[in-house]
Amino acid sequence: MDFYVSALANVLTFGPLAAMIGATLLGVFIGALPGLNPVMAIALLLPLTYSMEPLVALAMVAGIYNGSMYGGAIPAILLRIPGTPASIATTFDGFPMADKGEAAKALKIACWSSAVGGIASAIALMTVGPLLARVTLFFGPAEYFWIAIFGMASVGVMVGSDPIKGIMAAVLGLLIGTMGIDSLSGQARYTFEQTWLLGGLDLIVVLVGLYALPPVLQLAEKCDLKGLSAAQLKLTDVPFKRGEIRGLFPTWLRSSGIGISVGILPGAGGNIAAFLSYNAAKNASKEPDSFGKGNPQGVAAAECGNNADNAASMIPALSLGIPGNVVAALVLSALTIHGLQPGPQLFHQNPGLVGGFMMEMLITSLLIFLLGGAVATRVFAQFQRLPGVLLVPSILILMCVGVYVINGRPVDLWVMLAAGVAGYFLEKVNVPLAPIILGMILGPMAEQSVRRALLISRGDATELLTRPISATLAIATLLMITWPIVKAMRSRRAAART
Amino acid sequence: MERRQDIVLGAVFTALGIAAAWMATSYSGAGGLYPMVLGVILTLLGAVVAARAIRSGADKERVLIGAPVKMVTAIAAGALYVALVVPLGFYTASFLLMLFLPIALGFRQGLYALIVAVVFMGLVYLVFSVLLEKPLPREALVSLFGTGG
Repeated sequence: MDFYVSALANVLTFGPLAAMIGATLLGVFIGALPGLNPVMAIALLLPLTYSMEPLVALAMVAGIYNGSMYGGAIPAILLRIPGTPASIATTFDGFPMADKGEAAKALKIACWSSAVGGIASAIALMTVGPLLARVTLFFGPAEYFWIAIFGMASVGVMVGSDPIKGIMAAVLGLLIGTMGIDSLSGQARYTFEQTWLLGGLDLIVVLVGLYALPPVLQLAEKCDLKGLSAAQLKLTDVPFKRGEIRGLFPTWLRSSGIGISVGILPGAGGNIAAFLSYNAAKNASKEPDSFGKGNPQGVAAAECGNNADNAASMIPALSLGIPGNVVAALVLSALTIHGLQPGPQLFHQNPGLVGGFMMEMLITSLLIFLLGGAVATRVFAQFQRLPGVLLVPSILILMCVGVYVINGRPVDLWVMLAAGVAGYFLEKVNVPLAPIILGMILGPMAEQSVRRALLISRGDATELLTRPISATLAIATLLMITWPIVKAMRSRRAAART
Repeated sequence: MERRQDIVLGAVFTALGIAAAWMATSYSGAGGLYPMVLGVILTLLGAVVAARAIRSGADKERVLIGAPVKMVTAIAAGALYVALVVPLGFYTASFLLMLFLPIALGFRQGLYALIVAVVFMGLVYLVFSVLLEKPLPREALVSLFGTGG
């Protein structure tokens, strides 16, 4: 209990509090603009947090994450354009509600449901995270190696539509992670006699390029020259029927559970949580046919589910050092920026910071109730009147500021540009980008762990497989990689029979 | 289209894997073994992707670039901006990008673009130079007038 009281005291000071309020508003704004997403926003923000206190930097990440997951519902409801991939399921009933003149009501339900999901998820993080971290006390180098490999394998297999391409992306990330001076032997690897490569490719530079440039290029291709008219954004208030809000409670409870479970799984994102929650609400309903035609339960399920994924996805990231999704990977990057080593020791070495971040996830979810209501929603909806084509240079400029301030090197701008163009094409050919970043983050940990394990065992590779936890993790990794292959073979056989 | 793209993708990753593994042979000890293993795995995975595409009979349509002219314009503008940001200075290069990229992409309301550019650059200046005090590439115009005066 003292752990949380002290964390709360640290967070309720001017810096983190102001950062949480500002970032939650910024997050709602970013989510409300189709084409911008939380990953891009956090990637752009991270380089600017170098000089900030770690808790202020993490407060901004928490605010943008929670705020934007709700903000995505605004265009999803008003225009049937999901602001973020996680709000696709919100369009199913949100837009029909808006079509019936109930847009304000749908937005209120989305706001409350997002807050409820976020709060439930933060509570799960605060209770399960520390318990899981205790398990890591039994970990040695072999276990750390398998944890890193399992994390990458699961994200590689589960993100995207093609497991082989996912694993290929993870291996590419691991290779990029080996660039620069090897910390154990001191030799330079893949530096091409360039001094700026001695420290390897900067994670944030690659990350900004990979995650911010492809959406910019897509905005340029889409070339929205007009924006929306005022009439399209008109909101009229419709009062709730008696018992309607109380009727949402079972949906919130169910969707929170689903969102949290999905969040803990590495690789599964908010969009999966939203779809599963939506389907569960539909199956549990006495009127399943009303779903897709403007049922408020559909909006509540989708929004609660996608926000319940948020803090839960930090559970493996903070306790084991495995980022379950890209935002969790960005949080680990934020910790790296501030000189903290992500990994199983994080909980034990920096309890104040980890506890503070968990509190920030909780408080920013509460802030959605206060800031994300009708007034803020109406204000942010108006930004959709801005032609999308004007966002293209704006984001490019923010990318350049973010990258340039890291090292003050123009060469980083070229690396960012190259990574972005590569990311654009890789996404188009179904190669997921998240495993590349995870490979870059977890690669050094995997390499150092395996080499330490081999040093301790005097070169005996069986050491990696004979300890109970490492053997379990190795089997889990093998199953994770082989399962999609077995599944594909089965479906091929079934297709051949029919 | 999808088939051809996957063959090229597989070939690119195979080439990358071979190059990485070959370069790793010059690194000594475990510091070389680890990237070499990764290079070999990347080669195999790339070969699997290419082989699978070659064996596949179906060739579904998959659009690589939706609007090639707009996309190339945006990349070229980005490259030009990166090339000019240091010689011209951050604010000059950024202002020019804000003004001319929308027009190059087909936006025809010059005054609207100018107002948005002025407001946006003002906000960027307030946030990054005044509030956060981030060091950005120096303005060539200011240096010119500074030395001249």
